[in-house]
Amino acid sequence: MRRTGIGAAAGGLAAVLSFGAIADEAFVTNQSSEDVSIIDLDTGDTRATVSVGGKPAGIALSPDGGTAWIVSPESKTVSGIDTAAGKVTRRIVLDGGPLGIAVHPDGETLYVADWYDAKVHVIDAAQGKAVGSIAVGRSPSGLAVTPDGGSLLSADRDSDQVSVVDTKTRKRVATVPTGERPFGITIHDGRAYTADVGSNTVTVIDIAARRPVGRIRVGERPYAVAFARGRGFVTDQYADTVTVFDVETLTVIGKIDVGEYPEGIDVTPDGARVIVANWFSNTISVIDAETLDVVEEYDTGDGPRAFGLFIRETE
Amino acid sequence: MKSLGLALAAAIAFVPMLANAHGPTRQKVTVTQEVSASPEEVWAYLGDFQDMSWHPAVHETNGSNGNEIDATRLLTLGEEGGPTIAEILYKYSDTEKKRSYSYRITSVKVETLPVTNYSSHLTVKPGEDDGTSMVEWKGAFYRGYPNNDPPEHLNDEAAKKAVTGIYEAGLKAVAEHFAAGN
Repeated sequence: MRRTGIGAAAGGLAAVLSFGAIADEAFVTNQSSEDVSIIDLDTGDTRATVSVGGKPAGIALSPDGGTAWIVSPESKTVSGIDTAAGKVTRRIVLDGGPLGIAVHPDGETLYVADWYDAKVHVIDAAQGKAVGSIAVGRSPSGLAVTPDGGSLLSADRDSDQVSVVDTKTRKRVATVPTGERPFGITIHDGRAYTADVGSNTVTVIDIAARRPVGRIRVGERPYAVAFARGRGFVTDQYADTVTVFDVETLTVIGKIDVGEYPEGIDVTPDGARVIVANWFSNTISVIDAETLDVVEEYDTGDGPRAFGLFIRETE
Repeated sequence: MKSLGLALAAAIAFVPMLANAHGPTRQKVTVTQEVSASPEEVWAYLGDFQDMSWHPAVHETNGSNGNEIDATRLLTLGEEGGPTIAEILYKYSDTEKKRSYSYRITSVKVETLPVTNYSSHLTVKPGEDDGTSMVEWKGAFYRGYPNNDPPEHLNDEAAKKAVTGIYEAGLKAVAEHFAAGN
């Protein structure tokens, strides 16, 4: 469906055929080479390398897949990449220490965590500027919005908690304790899961009840969590593994060897493949979500972090 | 030794190391060195977490729990009473397929080494020719100053330069040890 619009805009039979071959794509922020690799997940080919500058880390895709929003902490900039064109078309300059990012389901509101100033910037994408801010805990890092758009969750790393924010009033309505130093946060099926870097755990939060309901011991220095086939997948930065747990029982069912310093993790829309950015190895690992085997490893730029939701559905 | 001296000299102001805090950009350094001895021999020389005497900057290694996961060591640099680095082992493999150990720093002053959240892998692989090895030392860390706008001696470049200097000095000494016909 999304392809139709792109194909029509590009026009011509060749363009249609070429777009017809497009598979799901990973938008990988390469912090050291200061660019974004757009990687075809069927062939492993890099379709484009988009220079953004400012040591990019955080990423989120708009709900329609048309824009990849990239956060560069060093230049304090959010760059909007037109995903079809593979070009930066938007620049929004912030202050403080922007890092994590999430997009509201309306596609118009962006939330960017400010690592240094204990707040979340609220950005109006159309206006291209910050229109407000929300006070949260210390060193907010990962952000996630509930599918209904009603709540924003912030992993407040140095407060060992998650802040729950009402997106309408832009006020914090609750805090939920986590393990030590929660970094990545992912919402799945009414629950939020934080990767707790300091305690090597994943904290499971019932979002409606606003309380923790479980804790899972994972590998050394977890970074982020993704979900596929009733399983949670956690990148363990220091262990060079992905820990797999069962979502029902919250028990660990496997460890998968991946590249060095695995960080960002996301899942293809069909739930068949889990994609992991290996920061030291300069690759992404492709995991079969069913067999738990690494089936491919593709090259990226230098220092891939891909902190956020970075896979674009193109079918 | 020289590089550590530089790092020490470069650090002027005392900046407390904040536990688990860091600036947003992690740095990485990889240094490799060919050594004219077999991986078995080189690993026998380097593979004991409790003995870092192969590095010219290390005066003394004091630790506990051998090469078990969570083993610790305290490195004293330069001379008796010199600056120290406390480290913990988190991965260890001495199989024929993989000879490697990984550790992280649990405590160091930024005047000693201008980094935070430092972790490292030391790996011995077969070299291109029989009877030779390739030693690879990799580090991942943040700069010494955890906030925005770091002073020059605690910025990303200072951190990378200090770590690179330590790795090069250590691996050069290893190569010379075996070149000398030990």
